[in-house]
Amino acid sequence: CAEEQTKGYVMAPNALQQVPVGSSQDQVLVVLGTPSTTATLKGEVYYYITQKTKRSVAFMNPSITEQTVLAVYFTPDRKVERVANYGLQDGRVVDLVTNVTPTAGQERNFLEQVFKGVLSFEE
Amino acid sequence: CSMFNSKEDELAPDEPADKLYNEGLTGLNSGDYDAAKKKFTEVDRQHPYTDWGRKAVLMTTYTSYRSGKYDDAITNGKRYVQLHPTSPDAAYAQYLVGMSYYNQVPDVSRDQERTTRAIAAFDELVRRWPTSEYAEPAKRRASVARDQLAGKEMQVGRYYLARKDYTGAINRFRVVVSQYQQTRHVEEALHRLVEAYMSLGIVGEAQTAAAILGHNYPDSAWYQSSFQLLNQSGQQPQENKDSWISRAFSGNKTVAQNPA
Amino acid sequence: AITAGAPLGAPGATKAFAQSGGITVRGNQRVDAETVRSYFTGRGPLTQATIDEGIRGLYASGLFSDVRVARAGGGIVVTVSENQVLNRVAFEGNSKIKDSVLESETQSKPRGPFNPAVVQADAQRIQDIYRRSGRYEVTVSPKTIDQPSGRVDLVFEINEGEKTKISSINFEGNDAFSDGTLRDQMTTTESNWLSWLKTSDVYDPDRVNADLELLRKFYLNHGYADFRVVSANAALDQGTNAFTLNIAVEEGQKYRFGAVDVESSVPDVDAATLRGKIKSSSGSTYSAQDIDKSVEAMSLDLASRGYAFAQVRPRGDRNMSDQTIGVTYVVEEGARVYVERINVRGNTRTRDYVVRREFDIGEGDAYNQIFIDRAERRLKALGFFKNVKISTEPGSSPDRVIVNVDVEDQATGEFSVAGGYSSQDGMIGEVALGERNFLGRGQYARIAAQFGQNVSGFDFSFTEPYFLGSRVSAGVDAYVKQRDETDYTSYELDTYGGGLRFGLPITEEFTLGTRYQLYQQDLKIPSEFSRITVKTSNPPPARVANDDRASAAIFEAEGKTMTSLAGLSLIYNDLDNPQAPTLGTYAELKGDVAGLGGDAKFFRTTFDGRYYHPLGWENIIGMLRVQGGHVVAFGSDDLRILDHFPGGPDLVRGFEPQGFGPRDVGTSKLFRGSPNDDPLGGTTYFGGSAEMQFPIFGLPKEIGLKGALFADAGTVFNYEGVDSITVDGRLGNPRELYVNAKDSKKIRSSVGASLLWNSPLGPIRFDFAKVLSKEKYDETQLFRFSGGTRF
Repeated sequence: CAEEQTKGYVMAPNALQQVPVGSSQDQVLVVLGTPSTTATLKGEVYYYITQKTKRSVAFMNPSITEQTVLAVYFTPDRKVERVANYGLQDGRVVDLVTNVTPTAGQERNFLEQVFKGVLSFEE
Repeated sequence: CSMFNSKEDELAPDEPADKLYNEGLTGLNSGDYDAAKKKFTEVDRQHPYTDWGRKAVLMTTYTSYRSGKYDDAITNGKRYVQLHPTSPDAAYAQYLVGMSYYNQVPDVSRDQERTTRAIAAFDELVRRWPTSEYAEPAKRRASVARDQLAGKEMQVGRYYLARKDYTGAINRFRVVVSQYQQTRHVEEALHRLVEAYMSLGIVGEAQTAAAILGHNYPDSAWYQSSFQLLNQSGQQPQENKDSWISRAFSGNKTVAQNPA
Repeated sequence: AITAGAPLGAPGATKAFAQSGGITVRGNQRVDAETVRSYFTGRGPLTQATIDEGIRGLYASGLFSDVRVARAGGGIVVTVSENQVLNRVAFEGNSKIKDSVLESETQSKPRGPFNPAVVQADAQRIQDIYRRSGRYEVTVSPKTIDQPSGRVDLVFEINEGEKTKISSINFEGNDAFSDGTLRDQMTTTESNWLSWLKTSDVYDPDRVNADLELLRKFYLNHGYADFRVVSANAALDQGTNAFTLNIAVEEGQKYRFGAVDVESSVPDVDAATLRGKIKSSSGSTYSAQDIDKSVEAMSLDLASRGYAFAQVRPRGDRNMSDQTIGVTYVVEEGARVYVERINVRGNTRTRDYVVRREFDIGEGDAYNQIFIDRAERRLKALGFFKNVKISTEPGSSPDRVIVNVDVEDQATGEFSVAGGYSSQDGMIGEVALGERNFLGRGQYARIAAQFGQNVSGFDFSFTEPYFLGSRVSAGVDAYVKQRDETDYTSYELDTYGGGLRFGLPITEEFTLGTRYQLYQQDLKIPSEFSRITVKTSNPPPARVANDDRASAAIFEAEGKTMTSLAGLSLIYNDLDNPQAPTLGTYAELKGDVAGLGGDAKFFRTTFDGRYYHPLGWENIIGMLRVQGGHVVAFGSDDLRILDHFPGGPDLVRGFEPQGFGPRDVGTSKLFRGSPNDDPLGGTTYFGGSAEMQFPIFGLPKEIGLKGALFADAGTVFNYEGVDSITVDGRLGNPRELYVNAKDSKKIRSSVGASLLWNSPLGPIRFDFAKVLSKEKYDETQLFRFSGGTRF
């Protein structure tokens, strides 16, 4: 009963063949669609990020079974220069830094929240 | 029942504006803002559009603000600005409206609607009264409020990064790097981008993000973390000149030097 | 001089122009000219456009009833006539609707402008509010009283009139279902003696339209695919001030499902794999609901197999002659659209991630309506929000969409004071303070104190539904409970302890629970039961039974014992509605081992399963229950009496608490239940129960009364506790006090009826049970009443 899921960009089966080296950026946009993210403000590299996740048991967080990044590099005059593929094995295991830039804002303490919720008749 | 039996006190004949106004001022000085507010509301009601009436609307805004009744302060403040846009106190009324929203800004994990309203009110003040004495504090408060909005983007970005939703995370951190460059969060956003790109294996972008971070904020703790992360996998941070990050920063590198 | 607020456009030009012609203002009495001028300056040169804009601005400010602009020598002359100012706005004659409500709904405000058009609109608005709350006879007449210095008082004189009722709702053209059944589907109801209590008997056009939709859904789910509402009109009888609602319907034929099939136009999706998900089996009665359920099941299956954009569209082809509808589920490629951003808005208390984590899709993923609906259902089930609305708006590029989640927080704090009676604990009161959305983090926290005739206690519990970011729920509990001796138990028991628990959902229905509990029980025997009196005979018998005092087993358990227990439970739950289930199964298999430290050492397993199914007729629900359990001690000592299973009304109704099962009958030869013998409990029990719940006809459903008939059967046996203890007799020579345990495997059974009342205090249940078979020493109890919230 494992629940697999495709997250991020869904690659159409034969789409890649239709954007050979030299095709224009608009051609890529039409065939592959808007990229997951891009590398420059003026579209120097398009990244299409796809992940396949599997959740064997409902309470576990889904684990990534497949992760592919299709990178389409463009020449300065926006023609496809080359295409690269990054697989799951390229990804580094990163332990995320835990501390966070502090932010302000009212933090409503417990009592105020409970009683405000309970006693405020005219919410 | 007779029309106003429940509202006896208001049947009192109109009192002269200055007497009521001064009673309001005494209430204000003694710190009893609610009583002061009642007096000023009376002046406004009994003597509309007179000079006393105009001042009374401003004082009602001020007393409501001081007693924490922000919604009243906002409605009266806006009414003052609409009625007397060119009066010398219009900027102050607008400032009070901005501050009323500003004081209700919740923490980043909650809806930031009041933060956006505060920014809009302060921006309007700077736009319409650039020379007023309240323009500078308004600019400062607006940037603090923008910092809060950047904080929210970061919070959602970190949420997706922790769940390995790299697309969602990267795009959220991009918003911070490109639209909230003047906030304190841009350093962490750059480092998170290094983390996300490294997790995806796109080392080129990671190096660029780290280089920008190092270049603009050399002594930032976040740069140390990025540096270590790149070193662990044998990469040095070197800037890939035409990556979007360097382009986003090239325009105002100097400005980024002294964050607000 | 005119200082334009912010110089826009070419500053040079405007200044020169304004200087020469200038804007003169006429007709203003109290509004200063400066204000009027400000509407015309600051927007570049005085072209016709900026002037029109200025005029619009002046009207929008509401200060002026008339604005006219004329050109004069290069400049303009603005003549205005000012509106009077509203001094006071009052409402009179309104008792059903408070002033504050009317004030918030009307535009004319004190100190604002007096604008006749706005006043008329306000009067109409007040009339609508009264109509909506069911008072069609209301009249609203605004009156004005002039005050000195151009101010005016405004009074809305309201004459509310009587509440307009709905005398009857009648249907035409309905032969498949009775008027009564159709009325049950509607939220609008007829007025009856309960009218003062309810508001659902008020004619509200929107509610009636919603009801018509409910009727259509009802028919569509029962095979009438061609159902149509011909007309629905409400006639107001002025005399009796009541509406009669006449609804004419055209039922059409009753259809059954014809051929049901799946077609796939998506290349590598094989239709056969989806056939298993079909819920609309051919031959059964046509039901729109089954089709929707099939579509959802198939879409979820497709999404989970990676076809994020595949969509399922049902296509029905009607066959008039043999009254069947064939359904073909067409699988096709949907639009390739991605979620660009998910904005959570309106959460003033709940944290952003508490809402966001209910979504299976994130930013950057394929947009899939099924996941959005699932998230909406989950958010509503949280119970933190008054309403949840998910909408989409176009993103920054054609294949991007932005999902907006608008929520409105509701008070999730519970401050409940509850009272109740249970045969075991007597009268009980409880004060509880709970918060279902603690600090907006979705956590549940509750502290409660109970005090009653013979029980008092305090408990605290805290649950984090997403422990460490995963869907594991973790909880901690702590409790103190003092129970005095009652007519069923001859000892006092103080228990205090706590525990940790984790819930791990395996699939949508299966959940695995693990728990650790540590509690100390302090058993005291009240003085009148503690003296051991023995019938004297010569020579004094070596073995004596304890007649009117506590059983030897209780003496053995006297004092403090610590239990340290770990357990696992597997829960299967697919009930359609946890509070009032009509379909589905709830089953729990539990296993506990006590002995990780502590004094008590035993293995215990229990099973409790309930299955609900609607019986043929409308809303009559059948329920079957099976339960059983076994406990066995290990290690040196025997199983304590406290760790045995009691035989009580939870197993077979009609018996007192611990009323049946193994019992120490002391010396009595006749084994008739004597008042002071003590229940011992058994190490094995099993039982079954069948129940039929039905609404009580003729009573309006607002009261919330339901009846039930039931039959119970079950037994508890095999007492394996201590069978004797040595006591020092009066003359110093030790005697053996033995347990004369009566133990039998006989099935106890009973039949009876219950009344279930969904009272404002919570569900209350009255059970009347007649015992059919029992042992001589069992103690029965004809009537049992338990209720109040959460006992």
